[in-house]
Order: sequence, then C-alpha cells, then structure tokens
Amino acid sequence: MFLIFKRLWQVNWAEQWQYRANLLMYLLYWLVSPIIYLAVWTSIANVKGSVNGFTANDFVTYYMVLLICDQITSNIVIHTFAYKIQDGSLSGELIKPIHPLLTNGLVNNIAFKMLTIIGLIPIWIILFFLFKPDFSGVSLSGVLLSIPAMILGFFIGYLLSAAITSLAFWTTRVYSIHEFYFAIILLFSGQFVPLPLMPKVIQDIAQFLPFQLFMYYPIQLILGKLSAEQIIQGYIMAGVWLVVSILFFNWVWRNGVKRYSAVGA
Amino acid sequence: MSPTIHVQQLSKTYKVPEREGGFSAAVRGFFKRKYKEVKAVQQVDFKIEQGEIVGFLGPNGAGKTTTLKMLSGLLHPTDGKADVLGFTPWDLKPEYLRAITLVMGQRNRLSWDIPAADSFLLNQAIYRIPDDEYKATYKELDELLELEPLMKKPVRNLSLGERMKCEIAAGLLHRPKVLFLDEPTIGLDITGQARIREFLREYNKRTGATILLTSHYMADVTALCERIIIIHHGQLKYDGGINLLSKKIAPFKLIGVMLAESNSHDLSKYGELVQNEEDWDKQYIQVKAEDVTRITSRLLADLPIHDITIADPPIEDVIEQAFNS
Repeated sequence: MFLIFKRLWQVNWAEQWQYRANLLMYLLYWLVSPIIYLAVWTSIANVKGSVNGFTANDFVTYYMVLLICDQITSNIVIHTFAYKIQDGSLSGELIKPIHPLLTNGLVNNIAFKMLTIIGLIPIWIILFFLFKPDFSGVSLSGVLLSIPAMILGFFIGYLLSAAITSLAFWTTRVYSIHEFYFAIILLFSGQFVPLPLMPKVIQDIAQFLPFQLFMYYPIQLILGKLSAEQIIQGYIMAGVWLVVSILFFNWVWRNGVKRYSAVGA
Repeated sequence: MSPTIHVQQLSKTYKVPEREGGFSAAVRGFFKRKYKEVKAVQQVDFKIEQGEIVGFLGPNGAGKTTTLKMLSGLLHPTDGKADVLGFTPWDLKPEYLRAITLVMGQRNRLSWDIPAADSFLLNQAIYRIPDDEYKATYKELDELLELEPLMKKPVRNLSLGERMKCEIAAGLLHRPKVLFLDEPTIGLDITGQARIREFLREYNKRTGATILLTSHYMADVTALCERIIIIHHGQLKYDGGINLLSKKIAPFKLIGVMLAESNSHDLSKYGELVQNEEDWDKQYIQVKAEDVTRITSRLLADLPIHDITIADPPIEDVIEQAFNS
C-alpha cells in the first residue's frame, strides 16, 4: 500500500508540476476573496476602533492565518473528478483494484495543495509586510495542536466534497449543488465573517456543523483563543464528523457506482 | 471444471432522457422528463471455458461493448447473472480486478501528461507485481510491441497507434487471466495489427488466459478466434465455430469465372451476380452450396472458360447476412 501511494504521488506531482502556471492563476483567484475580507474588515475596524470587540489586528491575524488553513483544509475534488463520472473516463480507474477517490483522487488533491502552498509563501510574506500583524498571542502548543485539527478538517472536507462529487452519478447538475455547498461553507466556516461576529443563532448552529473545523477552529487554535474545554469539544466534533463523513461518502459512492453508465469509450 | 465465464440471462436496459427540439419542449422537459428505454442487451447466455479465444461480433450498437463493460464490472446489469473466475464482476472486488483486464479505446490506463514509463510503474504498484515478474513481463511486451522508444515521451505526444500499443501493454502488465478487449487493434497499421494478434495468440498459449474480443477488423477475428459469438439488437444470434458459421447462416459458395474473351456473356441466369472490385477481370456468382457441382458443369459446358474458382464467401459478408437474418 505504501508503494502505491508513493508511485501515485510521483505521478500526480509530475502532472501538477506540468500545470504550475495554471495553478498559480488558480491560487491567485482563490486568494482574492479572503484578501478582500481582510482588507475590508481591517479598514472598518481601523475607523471604528473595533467591531464587536474585534480590533484591526484581530482581523489581520485572523485572515492571515485563514489563508494558510484554507489552503490546507480545502480541496478541488469536484473539479478533478466529477467530469470523469459524466464523460465515462472514470472507467479506466474503476477497473483498477484501488478506490479511485480514496487513493488517486486524494493524492492528486494533496499534490495540488503542496504546489499552491509553495505559491502562497511569497504572497503571505508580502501581506505580512503590508499589514504588519502582531502575532504575540500565537504559541507553539497552539500551532502543534492545530496540525492534527487541520488534517482532520481536510479529510472531513475531502470526504464530504467527494460525496457531493459522487452525486454526478445521478445528475449532471452536480456543479450547482457544489456551488450551493460552497456558499454554506463560506457562511459557517468563518471565512466570510469570523464566527463570533455572526448572529447568535448562526454561531449556535455552526458549532455542530463540520465547516468551522475547516477554518474557524484551527485558526482560533493557532491564535491561542480557545479554552481547554473548547479545544476538546472541537476535537470531539472532528472525530464525530470524520465518522459521519466516511459513512456518508461510502453510502453515496456504493449506490452511485451501481448507476454508472460508463458512457463513451 | 466450471467455465471461466458464465453468463446467464444477462440484460441491460438504459433509460435515456428524450425530448423534442424547440423551446416549449425544453420547458415541458424541465418539469417532466420523458424517458425512453433502450434494451442494449437482452437475456444473453453463454459459457466460455478457460483458454478460449472468442470473437464477439455485431454491428455498432449491438450491445457488444455493454456486455464487455458488465463482464469487467463497470456496469451493473438490469437483470441476469454473470460469473467470471468465480466472481460477480460488478462487485468490483480487488482480487477480481487484479485477475482481469479491459482494454477499451484510447485512454484508460495511461495519464496523458506524463511519460508512459511512470504510468507503468504506478500500475506495477497498484497490481502488486513483484519487481522480477514486472521486468520479465515488460521485456516480453517490449520485444513484441517495441515499447522502449515510446516510454519516455508524454503520452499526449504519442501517435494513435503508439498510444494503443502502450495501452495494451499497460493492461497486460499484471498478467491477467481473463482479457476483455474492445477493438484492441484500432488505430494500428497492418504490421501493428499483426503484431498484436501474434502477441495475443502467444500470450494465450503461454498463460492459458481466456480472451473475449471485439473487432471491426475481420482479420483479427479469423486469425485468433475459433469460436465467435454474434449479437444483434442486444440478442444472441450465433454462438459456435467460425468455420461452421457460413454453413449455418449462409450456405452459399462463390464461383469466380474468368472468360477467355471479354465479359460479354450474361452470367445472371446461373446465379446471383456479386460485385467484387478487387478482382475486376473475374465475374462472381453466388450459388447455393448444394448446386455448386451442377452449375459449375453447366458453366464449363456453355462458356469459353479461361479460369474458374469455387470459394466460401468472405466472412464479413456471411456475418452481415447473419445480422440481417
């Protein structure tokens, strides 16, 4: 199994590397909205002194960390996989004795991330000098605790996206379903607005949803803003959602493959 | 021993959305979609024993590819059963997938953006092929298909035929016991086709693998298969020896006549005239097998004959007739 992942990595890394210019464009596109949120919220806080207790530095540090968390926990499986179900090119992968989405698809996403993270580094440094954030609240233990949290966040996000991608077995409209899902993530993950600034109802709901595990939870871990109790609660939620997303993905996949029509060649 | 492939009452019906052109039809279709049922494969039965090479024939849309897709596990049938090597194909068990191969079309096992060599190594890992076995198989494939010069180029830069060679090789690295080949020689030149045929025959002899193949090139079928299965409109039309086919379906012979002086005599009163463009100096008539002797002696008696031949009609024509029957 190790050898499979090693070779999958070599192939996918080589493939992604061929598209590096493409990837850079994608990364820039990806970064536009968080950087806009960063700029907008910081100027508002600068004018008003603070927004609901969030100072300008709180916003800058929040979004600077979000840029990293987002790169680590997000995935592009809908773009790399849904079309294969629709145009029949999944056939070549389906007849191989490994799971297409849990092996190749997964490694493909990780290779993609590796490259975009490398691309993010210089951009992050430029933003650092532009906004001069004060990271004094960040501790080593917080950073260390955030790493498994982000990995869990990635796997939960990947499985949920993979399940939605697998809806392509039923409908060709899977992209619009994914757009809707993406809007929900935007709202409940703490990307659009840091969760504490949301109405109480949304905060209460967000707590039990998996989406805050992608951004808000690891960001707050890194920034050292969570109590021990909140940290434990977050990890329990992550564990529960990991199990739920595995079951959900498996169910959708199993039923979807039965409907696969292997169109085309 | 139980057969390697055992298909019972296998059926596949596709539901295809259908609507007429035009705006109002599009609006209606949005609320209520109409579906048409397409019976791609209907209650097909056959058994294939270990080591057989069977040609699977039928016109476009007959259900050949659908059947191959079901047998390799890609498609779930609507009804019926299939047992291949003791597995139900569509369970997609890894042990099953490691024992079979499906070569279909041009892009399957190779990633377009990287050289084939990398995809080969990936397949080695995926199919858990030990190093020494991998090297031996690769060497064999290389000898037959001359792969080495193609290995280092990105697959997208290979020609159609070169890519097909790599596809076939990639599909055989794990030494499958059952081969489903959909048009394995498509896009290849004559020597390339002959090589693949030679290779498949050799592979079958050496490993005892079972091969089910479809092809538009009748030469593939006549060279490799002793037995053929014909389906048309999803139904089994013929299953048996290739040499018995003409007897069963088209009990005709072709008499070719070259006259001593031009083609001035009308041969249509002896039998049905048949066009043959390749052989312009001869005229061909098709007659029933039992009438051959009688008609030949009449021809010899009546006409100034320079040369006369009696042959079976070409297999393509026979199969064509089988489709239409």
